[in-house]
Amino acid sequence: MRNYELALAISAKIEDAQRAEVLEKAKGYVTRYEGNILGIEQWGRKRLAYEIQHQTEAFFYFIHFEAEPTTPALLETDVRIMDNVLRYLIVSEEEYVPAEEPAVEEAPAAEEIPAAAEEAEEAAAPEAPAEEAAAPEAPAEEAPAEEPAGEE
Amino acid sequence: MAGETRERTYTPRKRIQRRRRKVCIFCGAESEISYKDTAKLRKFVSERGKILSRRVTGNCAKHQRAVTLAVKRARHMALMPYVDD
Repeated sequence: MRNYELALAISAKIEDAQRAEVLEKAKGYVTRYEGNILGIEQWGRKRLAYEIQHQTEAFFYFIHFEAEPTTPALLETDVRIMDNVLRYLIVSEEEYVPAEEPAVEEAPAAEEIPAAAEEAEEAAAPEAPAEEAAAPEAPAEEAPAEEPAGEE
Repeated sequence: MAGETRERTYTPRKRIQRRRRKVCIFCGAESEISYKDTAKLRKFVSERGKILSRRVTGNCAKHQRAVTLAVKRARHMALMPYVDD
């Protein structure tokens, strides 16, 4: 048995209930091919880096499962023809470690408008006040600028 | 140009050793490289979204490969742009 991760970007155009159905269907495929679901990570509504089918947003889900190495190929044949799945990705992973704060985000992020959703994500981190959140960003921005400069 | 080359012939050793060696930030560190961590990956792409070379990032070959793979996966999932204008 190996660990895998199935990432799904589900259209934000459809109703919440429909989206839940799509997710259930995907889970059904995983179990049908003898995959054992370990956990589901939900990112909620997220802005896409580029438009897909004229849509700028999608809901992201990550299904972690363990299965035999034959499973991903079979799974893909079904997932690739699923409706309302804008993108999918099946990758193997070392081991599944449940993320720290997945449960906090999922419920509110689903209904909020995108701008508010981003704020919610920041707010979701329990011990990070705004100041601290801003602080680590500053060196991150500096770093790439510094590197090419040092090169010359 | 001509002046520079002449200078180099006079002091060859100084020029050779000047570049400071960059160390791969993933080596020795416990941090993982994942396509889901776009905040981290953003440091390894240019403003246009192109993957930066190993010469620029200072990554070792192993981790540069991992970064490249992660960026490409992130692009596929629309978490990162293929082209950022």
